[in-house]
Amino acid sequence: MELVNTIKSLTDRYGVSGDEYGVSAQAAELLRPYMDRVEVDKLGNVIGYRSCGKEGAKKLLLDAHLDQIGFVITEVLEEGFCRFIGMGVDPRMLLGSELTVLTKEGPIPAVVSCIPPHLQKAGDNKKALPIEEMVLDLGMSGEKARETVRVGDYAAFAGEAFQLKNDLLCGKSMDDRACFVCILLALEELQGKELDVDLIVLGSTKEEVGGHGARARAYLDAPDYAIAIDVCHARTGDNKPEDRVFDLGGGPVIGFGSNSMPKFARRLCEVARAKEIPYQPEAVPAHSGTNAWSIQPIEGGVCTAVVSLPLRYMHSPVEVLKLKDMKHVGHLLAEFTLGFDGNL
Amino acid sequence: MKEILKQLCAANGVPGYEDEVRECIREMVEPYADEIIEDHLGNLLVLKKGAKPRKAPMMVCAHMDEVGFLISRITSDGMFKIVPSGGIDPRVLVGRRMEVGPRKVPGVISLKAIHLTTPEERKVAPGIDTLYIDIGASSQKEAEQYARVGDYATFQSRWVEFGDERIRSKAIDDRIGCAVMVQLIREGVEKDTWFAFVVGEEIGSRGAQAAASRLKPRWGLVIEGTTAADIPGVREHERSCFQGGGAVVSLADRGSVYNREFVRRLTGKADEAGIRWQYRASMNGSTDAGVMHQAGEGAQVFGLAAPVRYIHSASNVLHWPDAEEVLKMARLVVKEAECDD
Repeated sequence: MELVNTIKSLTDRYGVSGDEYGVSAQAAELLRPYMDRVEVDKLGNVIGYRSCGKEGAKKLLLDAHLDQIGFVITEVLEEGFCRFIGMGVDPRMLLGSELTVLTKEGPIPAVVSCIPPHLQKAGDNKKALPIEEMVLDLGMSGEKARETVRVGDYAAFAGEAFQLKNDLLCGKSMDDRACFVCILLALEELQGKELDVDLIVLGSTKEEVGGHGARARAYLDAPDYAIAIDVCHARTGDNKPEDRVFDLGGGPVIGFGSNSMPKFARRLCEVARAKEIPYQPEAVPAHSGTNAWSIQPIEGGVCTAVVSLPLRYMHSPVEVLKLKDMKHVGHLLAEFTLGFDGNL
Repeated sequence: MKEILKQLCAANGVPGYEDEVRECIREMVEPYADEIIEDHLGNLLVLKKGAKPRKAPMMVCAHMDEVGFLISRITSDGMFKIVPSGGIDPRVLVGRRMEVGPRKVPGVISLKAIHLTTPEERKVAPGIDTLYIDIGASSQKEAEQYARVGDYATFQSRWVEFGDERIRSKAIDDRIGCAVMVQLIREGVEKDTWFAFVVGEEIGSRGAQAAASRLKPRWGLVIEGTTAADIPGVREHERSCFQGGGAVVSLADRGSVYNREFVRRLTGKADEAGIRWQYRASMNGSTDAGVMHQAGEGAQVFGLAAPVRYIHSASNVLHWPDAEEVLKMARLVVKEAECDD
């Protein structure tokens, strides 16, 4: 698999929570070669099944979400601008940024307005502007803007992924489409190998707004075990000592707690040690902030674990990951699945 | 002219590092120029001869530099700390794609994830002293292989055409002025005219001062990209100028008070020619006219600009029809500036 282009084929598309269908279609294409059967459901969830052919086999679900953070247009103004609200975005990274508005006629570029320093008053540049006070410049007349953009249209950070030094990849929506690619890496490794569990792969929707997609699939597919593969915070230059952050390049992060169940997490760590895959343990006391939370209590309960990919600048237009970490996550998932007989 | 502008916006020219822009312009004008001088500061002075000489020199001026950054320090974990070169609101830096150093190494400026911040923290805009550029280097030693303290950094250029004939790019301030001058040189002029592509405007009109003291113009034209604040939330009388209003003409700013008779005579001719123009309704900011009109025995300078939104950010926005009016107005001023006073 050509890793960077595979990631870009997902992250360069738009799929804000609730309208992931464009990304889902691409994810389904990528998944198809590795599975017996792949479907896209009404919510846009991508679901793939690979049976091990053994009677009474347990079901293991691997999940990564396909949706991305974004914005919703709340008002189209007379002068060809619009107001908007964010879903999970720090407003401090918006002034002067490029957004793409996802209109009924397709994506259009726009810019978040900012007042040039020449016209500011002293001290203005120290105040973070709340998102309610920002406007998005469509570069159109009011009339055309009203024809083109509607209240309720989504918008998202613009820009394609690009590479930084040291095997790093940067762009929007690495959270969490990069982790979907980690699952593909695992599947590639498992191709043609005998398994003892039925494998279900889920590219889920609406994680960023509450994990609805994964919850719906957990009811329908009733897995016995599930691993949510999501991103976690890699260390950046502005962290406080008490921030829960991990090393970029330090390998998969394996959660321990009620939502990433210790017996499951321990097994994952054992596999990592046995196969010499670097990993980093994380304390996850309650809600893991991943789909494991949505999946765990469904249909009599699912034994869940969380495996995370370290990511810098999460929920920004320039999220940064290390490709080697992705390979380690994929390898860990593959090795675990290969050695898993359905009992922990 | 749009293609000229696009090429110029793709070049980097932080004050002191205008070389790439200058070489780009030199290539564009060389076949059309009668004389080219590159002075000690790095200004490119281009003489275009017309059919007739002038009674006294005329200088048309636009600046090649753009606001940007210099690398001030490289941290032990391989991050580039930066200081601004020119006036930049640090709030427009977060989340931006950057180019670092002469090798244009890609990098980003961002903040730690929203999940790790408190609502109180999110009310305070981070100062430039807390921001840094991440190119992916993991140590100071490694980072130094790509760029050193003193090298420049700037916004990655991303040219996007959108909306109603809008263009989004870095550095439209003042590559639009440069593009208009390149276009005029290629078209030719009636009378001998000096075109000065100057350095260091953003840090205090350094290049224009040197150029004007050499050329000693009697008549001058400065072509700029200026602040269009025609956006919701800004009161009508504080908008300075607006897009769709055509070329922007200055009466006064912090650097100069323009000769009223000179301005009236030329705008009168613009009206006759059907050129769309508007006054710049703001005293803020200054241009190279400030030093040009004081050079030699004093010059009459015409302050012309395109109304550009969000200058001094990565996303300057230009309305293309305005640029066309600026070109028409510049052509008219070059032709008509000389008078018998």
